[in-house]
Amino acid sequence: MSLQKLFQKSRGQGNESRRLFLEKIGFVGMVAGLAGFAYQSVRSLIPNVLYEPAARFKVGLPDRIADGMTFLEDKRLYVFKEGKSFYAISGVCTHLGCTVKYAKLNKLKKVEVGGQQKEIDFEFHCPCHGSKFYGDGTNYAGPAPTPLHWYKLELAPDDGQLVVNMNEEVEQNFRLTV
Amino acid sequence: MQVVQETAKLYKKLTWTWNPPSNKEAGDAIVKNLLLHWFPNKITQGSLSWGYSMWLGTISFVLFLILCGTGLVLMFLYVPSVERAYSSVKDIEYVISFGWLLRSMHRISAHLMVATVFLHMIRVFLTGAYKNGGSIGSNRPLNWIIGLVLLITTLLLSFTGYLLPWDQLAYWAITVGTNIASSAPLVGESIRSFLLGGSTIDQSALIRFYVLHVFFLPVMVLFLFAYHMWRVRKDGGLAAADREALTQKPEIVAPVKAKTYSLLGITNGSTVHVQNTMIDEERSSVASSPNLLRRILLVSLLTFIAVAVLAIVFRAPLEAPANPTETPNPAKAPWYFLWLQEIVTVSTIKIGSFTVNGALVGGILLPGFLMALAVWWPYRDRTGLNTVGVWFAPERKKQNMIFTAICVLIIVFTIIGTFLRGPYWNFYWPWEAWPAMPVKF
Repeated sequence: MSLQKLFQKSRGQGNESRRLFLEKIGFVGMVAGLAGFAYQSVRSLIPNVLYEPAARFKVGLPDRIADGMTFLEDKRLYVFKEGKSFYAISGVCTHLGCTVKYAKLNKLKKVEVGGQQKEIDFEFHCPCHGSKFYGDGTNYAGPAPTPLHWYKLELAPDDGQLVVNMNEEVEQNFRLTV
Repeated sequence: MQVVQETAKLYKKLTWTWNPPSNKEAGDAIVKNLLLHWFPNKITQGSLSWGYSMWLGTISFVLFLILCGTGLVLMFLYVPSVERAYSSVKDIEYVISFGWLLRSMHRISAHLMVATVFLHMIRVFLTGAYKNGGSIGSNRPLNWIIGLVLLITTLLLSFTGYLLPWDQLAYWAITVGTNIASSAPLVGESIRSFLLGGSTIDQSALIRFYVLHVFFLPVMVLFLFAYHMWRVRKDGGLAAADREALTQKPEIVAPVKAKTYSLLGITNGSTVHVQNTMIDEERSSVASSPNLLRRILLVSLLTFIAVAVLAIVFRAPLEAPANPTETPNPAKAPWYFLWLQEIVTVSTIKIGSFTVNGALVGGILLPGFLMALAVWWPYRDRTGLNTVGVWFAPERKKQNMIFTAICVLIIVFTIIGTFLRGPYWNFYWPWEAWPAMPVKF
């Protein structure tokens, strides 16, 4: 303990251990105080309440939604209607979060996803780093590591509107039939 | 008459340190002038030469001062709120007198500063200037690390700066940047939400980046810069000065006349002063004031002129207001981040069914590895003292080549990203036309 020796050296005779003790207490108190101050400063920057748009929201009556693709701009969400069934695919690229673009294909394309043959007539392309996804959200080119997210659809019990629940992810075979 | 005399006296009192009439005053000048006190009393001519240091560090700091000056005025004009940020920048650009010039100078200086800090690092490496020379208490490897931290801080200043206009470039840069942070394992998501102050890019994110940009990071640069300069003095000046001391041939001088009481003194033929040598500092060094001062002022003036001219020629662009629904196609980062954008595009790795996001590989692991390599390098470099402070020392040929190769790769990726990438990040030669992209699908 060189610090201790230093303290002892700088003091005269007598009361050494008491002085040393008080100095230690003072030092520990100062460090603890500074640490507490640092903690409360940083903690105040972590919000307790987020005034952000809800992740579960109504998008309108199922009848009113157009057949095919509807893009909800401010939610960055693609909602699809095929007859009476609905599903929703996130427009947020899984690589670095840019908004993927809907690309309609001129002719049907036969692809194999997870051992299944599928025919698709549209894809999603990401403008930032060139990732490509089939119409079902499966990534097949570029840096995207995982498929686009699918979100759960529900019907609102009060007014029968279609509800998107972005808190809950679902499988690609999910369909909400009304 | 009295007034004129007094004024002349005052002027002389304030300015004699700039141009001292004799060596004695030159020494006094350094001590008595606050702005000059961090200069050495005398400086070797090798340290002053244009060809050795190319004055890149000085240019970087002058650019930083220009950034502080223009930035201070811009702070009065810019409103850091998502509703008003874009329109306040638009006002600066189109309504406020000389606002466009201030903003343009601020932007050009920032671009140039990234470039000069990077070139400064290359210069220090290729001249072996991170190596300790002969002087005692020298710790140049530490100063090299401080320099690396300054480089990162410079990049962070640029990053936090270009998202303040809250235009499309800003919005998508912050999207990509914070998603790179969130790709870090375990702590990534918490870092992202700490940076953004929430989970979406909104007001709390803007104010955080604003405070980082106008206070936290500039103050950090000032402290680090002060330490950087202090270390240069502690380390014995520029490495070129060490080089001079090491290569100088000892000069034989006449024995100093002094009384000796040695017994040898009474023997015939030789004395205790067999040979006396000295390293002649006088011959190669000059007074810092005015010699160093004059060059610094000249470099500052030239830098300022270059910034002013470039700012008038290349006006700062302002993209469309931030629109979360519409990613620009292609969405490009500024040129100094395009090598990283290029790398995150190609670095997603698949190991069996396990996929590692390119954001982690190219955005965190690779830059982190390069940084760690740079920190470690001076401690690994065991070449001799004769390689300190000399361009392209033959003994360091191999490491110079490796370092240059890495820098060239970074530059090549930057060029590819800047000129050869089009919509959907596809490859296009400069003479190939980009396909027309519908603005809305």
